[in-house]
Amino acid sequence: MIEIENLSKRYGPKQAVDDISFTVRPGVVTGFLGPNGAGKSTTMRMIVGLDRPTSGQAKVNGKLYADHRDPLHEVGALLEAKAVHTGRSAYNHLLALAATHSIPTSRVHQVIEMTGLENVAGKRVGGFSMGMGQRLGIAAALLGDPQTLILDEPVNGLDPDGVLWVRQLTRYLASQGRTVFLSSHLMSEMALTADRVVVLGRGKVLADSSIEELTGKAGTTRVMVRTPAPTALIKAIAGPGVSVTQMPDGLLSVTGMPAEQIGDAAFRNGVPLYELSPVRASLEQAYLELTQDEVEFRAEVAA
Amino acid sequence: MTTATLPVPLSVKPRLSAAGIVRSEWIKLRSVRSTMWCYGILVVLMLGIGVLISCLADFGGGDVTGDTARSIVVAASTGGLNVAVLIVAVLGALIITGEYATGMIRSTFAAVPRRTGAIAAKALVLASTTFVATSVAIWLTALVTWPILAGRGVEVQLSDPSVFLPLLGGAVYVTMIALLAFGFGMILRSTAGTLATVLGLIMVAPLILQMLSGLTQAGWLTDISALLPQNAGSHLYAYSGTAALPTADTGRLTLNGWSGFGVLAAWDAIVLSAALILVKRRDA
Repeated sequence: MIEIENLSKRYGPKQAVDDISFTVRPGVVTGFLGPNGAGKSTTMRMIVGLDRPTSGQAKVNGKLYADHRDPLHEVGALLEAKAVHTGRSAYNHLLALAATHSIPTSRVHQVIEMTGLENVAGKRVGGFSMGMGQRLGIAAALLGDPQTLILDEPVNGLDPDGVLWVRQLTRYLASQGRTVFLSSHLMSEMALTADRVVVLGRGKVLADSSIEELTGKAGTTRVMVRTPAPTALIKAIAGPGVSVTQMPDGLLSVTGMPAEQIGDAAFRNGVPLYELSPVRASLEQAYLELTQDEVEFRAEVAA
Repeated sequence: MTTATLPVPLSVKPRLSAAGIVRSEWIKLRSVRSTMWCYGILVVLMLGIGVLISCLADFGGGDVTGDTARSIVVAASTGGLNVAVLIVAVLGALIITGEYATGMIRSTFAAVPRRTGAIAAKALVLASTTFVATSVAIWLTALVTWPILAGRGVEVQLSDPSVFLPLLGGAVYVTMIALLAFGFGMILRSTAGTLATVLGLIMVAPLILQMLSGLTQAGWLTDISALLPQNAGSHLYAYSGTAALPTADTGRLTLNGWSGFGVLAAWDAIVLSAALILVKRRDA
């Protein structure tokens, strides 16, 4: 359980996190979404006490992280790939972290095996690829068998095999009743992994809901229709609540009437249809709509 | 890369402890190459400089005994200390700036979120290994140069307290400089900045003050110079004779072994406390 209460962080003139409050519950995978620079990593660093909040607080399992007797047993955190000394081997890195909590060496071997690092564990971390760095970070997070896992962009740099493994891993840990909180700027990945999402934009919470709620909220379902007789079709389906927009490429975008009714109406009125496709708001779209105005750096598109 | 599997729970409950944190810092220190390189170079240089001094220095011929003989043995065994402090300054800085540079510091402070324990363990491990390595270097040099000096007519007992104490003091001096560099490393967090500051303080500052006081004849500059880490520390391994020798009262600040130790301890205490306050307050 992670409880964020009125948490704010200011770096000089920049308000990185702006008075956010939300709760991450155990037993489910909670995604933390937002464009780059939205404040996700800052929030995660504040949860584990690395950054000091300007105001507010973040509690993990009922206490401030630093107040826990055995922090690595409470929270396992992957804060960024390679929070690791580059001159040390992966094995020694894990061994040193394990030593602080008197975690046995057998556990170090266990997490190396779990993350598939057996072949590179003796090599210095400086030569690791990003994917291997991520695996090492996850290995470190699992070391203390923690009740709560915080993973910042865990799939970044992972191969498809690794992405699938992270998905299975997080779902498995949540099914054991643990709290799993992972960030990403990739909506599609979240749609497959998370049960709930907290969306952050420019330091503020834009949404805190289940995946279904978020998709449901995003606009209304539209139907794209292509016909050689647009005027006849518009007449045939006209009614209260129905609106039709002419798209630049000749498509008609219809809202307020399901595809079946549009098809029936066209058939009754003898209007030929070349295309009739319902467009469901995807999580991706919901996310884009939410964060549209909140992106910090947007590529300018020449008109 | 082999296939990853799902996690298994841990059989024993993890327990954060002071002993565990010290063990962790010891694993960290021994598992980077720079540590062994630094201590290795330290021993080799100390030994080399000691052998050179005992072979080449001019003792005026004939048998040398008493204070002169003892001071020669101390000088040969501690001749490399001025170089040794530069090496441990690098090591003391790297032990902490290396963690800031690589991001390791976040892993360290995530495991020990109150931070003081991690910093204290680092200081303890750095101090003990530096003390042991420097002691080994000094005593090895003393043992190797002993027969060389004996062959050139210098008679001496290493167990004599007036010889033994400066040799011990030399290791204490080097250890305290390592801690000073560690403190500056915590404050500045960058390797280059820390090395510039520490080497400036122990090498350049004494030269500048000496030059200025020579030019201006200002006595207070000499007093300040006496309080610099390197000048204060040099009294820890200086041969001071079996009997207290009367020194001419110049009206200027004069340190001895114990007051030199006191000044150096004050440097360490001030820099390390300031560093600890900053480390606890700052974002990692």
